[in-house]
Amino acid sequence: MAQRGATGQRQTGAGRVEAEGRDERTAAATPALAIEGISKQFGSGDDAVQAVDDVSLSVDRGSVVGLLGPNGAGKTTLVKSALGIVVPDAGTVRVFGTDVAEGRRAAYTDVDAMLEGARNDYWRLTVRENLRYFATIHGVDPNSVADRHEQLLERFDLATKADTAVRELSRGMKQKVSLASVLAGGAELVFLDEPTLGLDIESSRTLRSELRRLAREEGLTIVVSSHDMAVIEDICDRVVMMADGEVVADDTVAALLSGADRDSVRVTSAGIDDGVLARLRDRFEVARVETVDGRRRVEVGAGGDTLYELMDTLRAAGVTVEDIRTVQPELEEVFVDRTGMESGGGRSR
Amino acid sequence: MSRDATADDGSRATTDGDATTPRPATYYHLARAVLYREFLIFVRYPANAIGGIVVSLFFFGLLFYGGRLLAGQALTDSLEGIIVGYFLWTLSVGAYSSVSNDIGSEVQWGTLERHITTPFGFAPVALLKGVAKVVRTFLTSAVVLAVMLLLTGTWLSIDPLAVVVIAGLAITSVLGLGFAAGGVTVLYKRIGNWLNLLQFGFIVLISAPVFELPWTRVLPLAHGSALLQRAMVDGTRLWEFGPLELGLLVAVAVGYLAGGYLVFYYATRRARRLGVLGDY
Repeated sequence: MAQRGATGQRQTGAGRVEAEGRDERTAAATPALAIEGISKQFGSGDDAVQAVDDVSLSVDRGSVVGLLGPNGAGKTTLVKSALGIVVPDAGTVRVFGTDVAEGRRAAYTDVDAMLEGARNDYWRLTVRENLRYFATIHGVDPNSVADRHEQLLERFDLATKADTAVRELSRGMKQKVSLASVLAGGAELVFLDEPTLGLDIESSRTLRSELRRLAREEGLTIVVSSHDMAVIEDICDRVVMMADGEVVADDTVAALLSGADRDSVRVTSAGIDDGVLARLRDRFEVARVETVDGRRRVEVGAGGDTLYELMDTLRAAGVTVEDIRTVQPELEEVFVDRTGMESGGGRSR
Repeated sequence: MSRDATADDGSRATTDGDATTPRPATYYHLARAVLYREFLIFVRYPANAIGGIVVSLFFFGLLFYGGRLLAGQALTDSLEGIIVGYFLWTLSVGAYSSVSNDIGSEVQWGTLERHITTPFGFAPVALLKGVAKVVRTFLTSAVVLAVMLLLTGTWLSIDPLAVVVIAGLAITSVLGLGFAAGGVTVLYKRIGNWLNLLQFGFIVLISAPVFELPWTRVLPLAHGSALLQRAMVDGTRLWEFGPLELGLLVAVAVGYLAGGYLVFYYATRRARRLGVLGDY
């Protein structure tokens, strides 16, 4: 992977070695992506839509940041603004320290993106030809990264299809080719929009594992936008949640989950009838009631001292508890809490 | 220990000690990549080129045999001029539609967006693709010309230097129109079919009365068409044209190419402002 100096310009060979020592500490402190006060409005008058409203965020080098939000939250506009595909009304975007408005060539040398709903590569070329082509347009002599391309083909299980035209591959394989071509030029910052869309479980797992490896071992910085909470939870160090064009949460996955800890337990028993349920509702917050194999499974807001109260209440009602366990919050619940919407795009009720 | 490999495009790759260090690509690498891609698509998917040749010859057959039935000797007397004009028209249509349609396809595939986020940008790629399209169009139109000559039993003075230079510069102006149309497609999307109608306007430009109305020489194709007629029908050599005539040919070509390219550039910029660059 190519190295960058603090100026953001790709440096290779002797120039790089000379500059490395001088710039190393400054470069390490410079975030891969720094977005300051980005706003974008589409349309005008009554039809105006504020897609992104004064959003700022910073992405450290080598980190994996997830972008979550319902449809229309402003994720795509934010990503496209960062990539220069959309020109924001206000704000600045710095990529490895370079303001994209001042130096596009320098800023985008080590950036690539896989956008959702597009082919992203040339289906009439073979897989290998796509890797070579996209490496070149990203400013890298493809011959100098031929070994890297072979590794990518191996890692994405594309080696046997390397000389096959992309149009002849399955949807999942095309998705892999798209991702491999994004990595072909040795980009250090990549934007991935729904990277696992169309992949089977095994391919999705392989891809997630590869993304984690690239971030950990090669210092790749990844901004991933996805509706798939499992993907975000699995690979991201940090999650930025957006709603109505604004950032509503920005924290590590662990912090977001711990913040959503509601001290809830899930009690399972055949003895929880409607009467018991009414008594529980009088005294506790009952979040969810299910019937599984003739047994009632009730999620009750109780922890610490209130947990003893819950147990006393059940005992007094003659209920034999068959199973009780603490409820672990899920990212999707945090998402719904913070955005007030379902992950699929609709507002929760 | 070093290992040399020959890449698909014939270039040599060295994977010895320093080879794992990515080397920056220059405009030479970019040109090679873009032209090689166009070459691969041309040789791997010849159906488009063959289809274009067949359709061109079909319409010429209609024109030739239909014209003979209706106009008889009058058509025979002007046949050489018709063949040269038709040859230039096929060149123009090929260059125009391939550039404008190609830009539309790049928008649709999302590859235009990817080019925007590269250090080179889409501009040099679009120009290089234009060069490739012109070369490709010359090859297919040469086949059309040869068949037209055989079909009609006509003989023209084909000095390759004069034909390539004059026809090449003439269709460079059309290339500019193709870029402009591509820019409009980037902004307004599905209007490719309407823009393709413009190619019928090329017939008017090719047959423009440049002697009676000299100002028409500054229109695309018109002056080039007149010079090509003289080169191919009268056998005028390239160096026998006056410097003013050649200068005007170059100026019209460069002017329309630059103008069309500016339209494309500003349309792309406006699409980025409106946030519609990748919408299709």
